[in-house]
Amino acid sequence: MDLLQGIETGILTAFTWHALMYCFIGVSVGTFVGVLPGIGALAAISLALPLTYYLDPTDALIMLAGIFYGAQYGGSTASILLNLPGTATAAITCLDGYPMARQGKAPLAIFVTAINSFVGSSIAIVLVMGFAPLIAEFALEFGAEDYFAVILLGLVAASTMTLGSPFKALAMVVFGLALGMVGTDVNTGQFRFTFGAFELADGFSLVAVAMGLFGVAEIIANIGQPQGVLQKVGRIRFTDMLPTRSEWKQIAWPTLRGSAIGSFIGALPGTGPGIASLMAYATEMRLSKTPEKFGKGALEGISAPEAANNASVQAAFIPTLSLGIPGDAVVAVLMGAMILHGITPGPNLINDQPQMFWGLIISFWVGNLLLLVLNIPLIGLWVKLLSIPYHLLYPGILIFICLGVYSADNNVFDIFVVLGFGILGYLMRRTGFPATPVLLGFILGPILEENFRRAMLLSKGDLMVFFESPISATFMGLSLLFIASVFMPGLRARLARRSPKFSEDDD
Amino acid sequence: MRRHFLKGLGAAALALTTGLGPSAVLAADSYPDKPITIVVPFPPGGSTDLLARKIGEAISGPLGQPVAVENRGGAGGTVGANYVAKSDPDGYTLLMGVTGSNAISAALRDDLPYSPTADFDPVSIVISSPLVLVVNSESDFKSVEDVIAYAKANPDTFTHGTPGVGTSMHMAGELFALESGTKLVHVPYKGSAAALQDLLGGRIDAMFGDILVTSEYINSGRLRALGVTGTQEHYLLKDVPTIAEAGLPGYAAFSWQGVFAPAGTPPEVLDKLYAAIDAALKTDELQAIFKERGFLVEGMPPAKSKAFIAAEVEKWTGVVDAAGLKK
Repeated sequence: MDLLQGIETGILTAFTWHALMYCFIGVSVGTFVGVLPGIGALAAISLALPLTYYLDPTDALIMLAGIFYGAQYGGSTASILLNLPGTATAAITCLDGYPMARQGKAPLAIFVTAINSFVGSSIAIVLVMGFAPLIAEFALEFGAEDYFAVILLGLVAASTMTLGSPFKALAMVVFGLALGMVGTDVNTGQFRFTFGAFELADGFSLVAVAMGLFGVAEIIANIGQPQGVLQKVGRIRFTDMLPTRSEWKQIAWPTLRGSAIGSFIGALPGTGPGIASLMAYATEMRLSKTPEKFGKGALEGISAPEAANNASVQAAFIPTLSLGIPGDAVVAVLMGAMILHGITPGPNLINDQPQMFWGLIISFWVGNLLLLVLNIPLIGLWVKLLSIPYHLLYPGILIFICLGVYSADNNVFDIFVVLGFGILGYLMRRTGFPATPVLLGFILGPILEENFRRAMLLSKGDLMVFFESPISATFMGLSLLFIASVFMPGLRARLARRSPKFSEDDD
Repeated sequence: MRRHFLKGLGAAALALTTGLGPSAVLAADSYPDKPITIVVPFPPGGSTDLLARKIGEAISGPLGQPVAVENRGGAGGTVGANYVAKSDPDGYTLLMGVTGSNAISAALRDDLPYSPTADFDPVSIVISSPLVLVVNSESDFKSVEDVIAYAKANPDTFTHGTPGVGTSMHMAGELFALESGTKLVHVPYKGSAAALQDLLGGRIDAMFGDILVTSEYINSGRLRALGVTGTQEHYLLKDVPTIAEAGLPGYAAFSWQGVFAPAGTPPEVLDKLYAAIDAALKTDELQAIFKERGFLVEGMPPAKSKAFIAAEVEKWTGVVDAAGLKK
């Protein structure tokens, strides 16, 4: 089936009244769970899945997928307005989004993230439409050593970001890596660092760690504080949201680069939007001519990660639909939904189920347009949330956070984990230890370890595999460049100081 | 423990005075008088979830009470199993248990907070399904004999991927190595999709995989099926021999799923539940769904299920001990 024919099939499927309705329901639910701190796409889809057992499979998938990418739109809203990430993947958006809100630019920030999200999604959907089988075959070329090298680059890039004290940041990366060690050792099945708590056999839940360190910590920090400058919210005019010409220029490249990074990471099974947004943020900071502005309300700092997480979510459908291998945990649940409906995803899905494949793709376009239309008028409403007094707003949010972490596995233990990390996060703030590097180590560490050990198992312990595979060698090289770019300026300055005479003569 | 003891003592005293245990009979007579929960020890969307929901739906009518499904995922099903093991043995909290949570874990782990044998009364082993040994279609392995010959000549070289330590796929591989006298390299992944990815990419040699999922790749020519782990050919994979026929006589490994109640549940309650499940399994609807999913319907009664679990624990304990996997 060629592209045009496919698009036609897709339009016929996605533009039926029921498909449109389920798409609308999906993206609306997605937006709301995205905005609500704690309840993320995974929890919402898990809860909604049983309800779809009675729907037509294509409608069910359109709705569930809508929740998934819709949540990526909403996730940044709470990060920007309240410094509380709406979803675990939007934690990075707090870094620059919240300072923007404090500068009174909340409407602009939310508008920009909606545009970034749309651009990121669009680019990835074009890739899914045109090249899904090709990209999926390319992703199959990635072995354990290649995954290791890609994730290592992410870790190097992100841990060399210096917001505040580099030593404290590095210490927190290591702390995050250590947290990631808790759980079951993949190779031996041994429980590690669970201290007899059987609930830790799968490690700490990402949602609980992110919501604790960012969400609960923020709430604790605000206890007894007077409500900030943000309270005075007037009428939001459209001009408050629109970026100026120079701001458009400022976000253009970061958005495109973020989309590219997101599409790449998303198409690699086993990664996810969290990694994509971290890597996009780190890349922008490294490429920026004004890295000192990051963390203080840089537009690039919200554009790149927001484009990246949306692109990653859409690109995650590439391996899923063309090979039957889910791109991340949420898509794995979606794939389960397909099997429940009697559709077994595999290499023939696109040919065997063209109506479902193309219907889903066209629904992505419909859904993303709906999200754009839905989100921009909502900006005024969200910003108004800030005028709710803290003593009403925060208890409400706390309830949502507890509800969100509990609903993931119906496990009360996770509620104590989120509260524990909340207290820890608050203490870290008081002592100037940043939370983002913890999250970074915690997300990347387990994937890094798993792939390192698998590479060693398959190569019988030969470390050269990391340099023999061309993909791995390339990413290892990039990591070295990154490290060099961090140390070179300091080294050069030191050399210059040692021989001031020479450098003066040279100039 | 103490509570169970007192309850039992009370019932015994009553049974002595009246010749029957009226409290137990009464409880069983009125059972169920409130909604029943089936705990699925995995996230929604998997085959265990599907099975639990379909069974729950089908038995809810005859039992006259709603049956809710609750997903409590974690640690290969053991977190959810532990929850049910510690619940009241009144028939209102049941587990949809699997090979890993209710047999292999008993063989593998000393640090499990529950006993898969002592802490459960099985209601029924509902379904079983064999696995299939698959290799990449571009590989040189054309038969089970090829694999055995290669693995014998090259110990610790032939790699097989699994969704993790202690899964039925892992055990099928260990049993294969044990019975063929070979040494294979076990490559654990987090979930079967990741293992499948490396098998398709040609980085691991083989996998003992789920029949339904791998059949898509076998039919499209990406993977080659060398043998099924069951005792007879599987209807989804025509012309694929059993591993026993193809060069390893006596070999058999299944994964299975069943409904379990906490130990101490009144036998009348177990029987009532079993009768409802047995009737449900005979309906055309469930037969059709299970067939599509690649399941073999078992529907064992409680006593047979209990004996089956004991045999499974013994079988896998033997494999775990021989392979030196004990944690």
